[in-house]
Amino acid sequence: MSTTTTAGPHRARSSWAPYLFISPFYLLYVLFMLVPIAVSLWLSLTEWVGLGTPHWVGLRNYRLLATDISFHRALGNTAVFVLVAVCVVVPLALLIAQALNTRGLRVRDLWRTAYFVPVVVSPILVALIFGLVFDRQFGLANSVLRALFGTGGVDWLGDPGWARVSIALVMLWRWTGYLTVFFLAGLQNVPRELYEAAALDGAGRLRTFTTVTLPALKPVTAFVVVTSFIGAAQIFEEPYLLTGGGPAESTLSVTMFIYRAAFQRQQFGYAAAAAVVLFVLVFGLSQLVNRLLGIGRATS
Amino acid sequence: MYPPPHPTRRTLLRGALGLSTAAALTACGADSTTALTSGDVTLALWTHDPGYEAFFEKGIPEADRLTDFRYHLKVTRAGAPDVVTKLLAQAVAGRGTPDLIGFEIGSFPRMLRGDIAERLLYDLTDDIAAVPGLKDDLLPARTAPFSKDGRVYAFDSDTPMVVYFYRDDLFDRYNMPKNTATWEEFAEVGARVHRDHGASMCVVSTVGSDAGQVVQSFQMLLYQRGGAFFDADQNLVLDSPEAEEVLRFLCDGLRTGFVIDISDYYGAAMQTALKQGRVIGLPMAIWYKNYGLMPNVPEQNGRWRVKALPRFEGGGAVTAAAGGTGFGVIKDKANTRAARDFLFKTWLTHEGQVRRFTETGYLPTRRSVYDDPRLSAARDDFCGGQRLFPLYRELLPQVPPFHQSPDQSILYDVLAGNLLRAYHGDLSPRQALKQTAADFRDQAGR
Repeated sequence: MSTTTTAGPHRARSSWAPYLFISPFYLLYVLFMLVPIAVSLWLSLTEWVGLGTPHWVGLRNYRLLATDISFHRALGNTAVFVLVAVCVVVPLALLIAQALNTRGLRVRDLWRTAYFVPVVVSPILVALIFGLVFDRQFGLANSVLRALFGTGGVDWLGDPGWARVSIALVMLWRWTGYLTVFFLAGLQNVPRELYEAAALDGAGRLRTFTTVTLPALKPVTAFVVVTSFIGAAQIFEEPYLLTGGGPAESTLSVTMFIYRAAFQRQQFGYAAAAAVVLFVLVFGLSQLVNRLLGIGRATS
Repeated sequence: MYPPPHPTRRTLLRGALGLSTAAALTACGADSTTALTSGDVTLALWTHDPGYEAFFEKGIPEADRLTDFRYHLKVTRAGAPDVVTKLLAQAVAGRGTPDLIGFEIGSFPRMLRGDIAERLLYDLTDDIAAVPGLKDDLLPARTAPFSKDGRVYAFDSDTPMVVYFYRDDLFDRYNMPKNTATWEEFAEVGARVHRDHGASMCVVSTVGSDAGQVVQSFQMLLYQRGGAFFDADQNLVLDSPEAEEVLRFLCDGLRTGFVIDISDYYGAAMQTALKQGRVIGLPMAIWYKNYGLMPNVPEQNGRWRVKALPRFEGGGAVTAAAGGTGFGVIKDKANTRAARDFLFKTWLTHEGQVRRFTETGYLPTRRSVYDDPRLSAARDDFCGGQRLFPLYRELLPQVPPFHQSPDQSILYDVLAGNLLRAYHGDLSPRQALKQTAADFRDQAGR
């Protein structure tokens, strides 16, 4: 009996120990993740100027968002940026990684560093540099076009269509090298024997790439696609610094829309509603992409 | 009697925990609001401009002499929009707000949303009335931007009149008249100069990342012509014949080359245009000399001159106002009274206003100061020794008021986009203004 009475509390303490050890993370997770999300959700049902007591308005903010042309534009622009990220930046990063992984490539580290540098450059500097490059009157891009083709009147940042192209070019410049690093790491882990077997079977370069490299890179590709999707869906720095969302909201992203509503127009409830919509969209679509790419499922 | 027991380690730990918790809670509490009425006081000053910091620092001796306080300043500098964001964040936290704060005019409309201004800012209206003659002496055109419902919440730093800056040497070289009476005649001369010399005499900003700059190019001439964005009741009045006339004037000017589109008034593009002589004149607020011309083209010292804007044939004035920074006091703080006294005794005194012009180039906001002979005597080296103040005094009665609205940033966003579309020829001036009004109605009040 005496053994039982002393072992009970001891066993109880032991069973709590693992939870106590992992509790700091979950406490912080609740404080800094779940609470803000819950507060955003509540705030989205109110009207609040940033000071004083928020007024409950129910689903009014969501109803207004549904008819807000500006928000629709932001959603459309963000979709374009997501497409650029997933359909242009990711494949390009893969091709560059493939090139950098070529055997016998000279000064390999120099090339790798060169591709990676843009991601560590301050966004402010990026905006300054590209602001000079894309200037309509005196910019480098138009000067080069003038020198080569005799015409260079492209209004890179002032024309709605070209402004989107400019943002896409900056995304390309900034993020391709970063994603290349992931693909490069993946390529270096593809067993050499697979390539040798493909060569013995008479596969050419393209065939080897599609039947050996791509399947072997599937987990890395899935990760890169999902993170690129989430990153592009929340794009802020490039349009904010380069075009301010203009001209005529042609480069306004959803995160910029949220920032503008909250910190320029003092419409915190409305901004929170837009943030909730963005959260739901990003969460839902990334889950869909996860399923499509089979992330987290054991391979047979 | 037993001696008191020695505290155990656990007791000491508990005590320390209790003390630190109490200290933390105290630190998290609101600032003390027991009002200071005299003696040493350290004012927390927030501003975006180091020029104001220097001005207020130099004003301390005069403020010490004229009040019961001995002032010290603790200055925090941040970007103009960040000043407001930080203020609101600190106000929500209930502590850490400044005592004295400078609002760049484009950021102040955020304070007009809801009851933010009433909750946070000290209402200066009664104090203005309490100083004999001050109410009538202050220019209404410069109290209007920082007022709400007839109450004044900040004092402007400047009467930023819009004037015409021009290259005197190039005007002579190109045989251009300097006293053209109207914009329409001026535009004809400008078209000829552009054809013959590739130079432009007016600038519109097309920097996409700064809607304020894009709007400002249009705003200066619109207000000069007699139009406005908002009336005193914060209603949108943009869609007017005056606005259409001004926008058409700018669009036509872009086609003839009289007007050039430059991405940024302050950046590399403008510097290149100025250095290459592609821009030989432009309408701009007086502060542009110090912030735009002098830093970008110091080698052109002595070659620039200032004159009144030509009139529009259809009417209007020969100047407008663009820019400004209002200084306000945060209410219900221990230092509120000290901050208010400091503002009145540095910013609004006759000597303070004279000093502000001589040290920072900002024009007085009190009518009476314009008669000070020291100001009229001042010569400007960058403008070839020109005495600028007599011109400013002449223009003063024509400075139009500028009313702000909490929805101003919405207007700027939609107007900037439609102005660019009109400049490109994608929309007619009429369509651009109609579209702006429609977009504004769609977004305002959400």
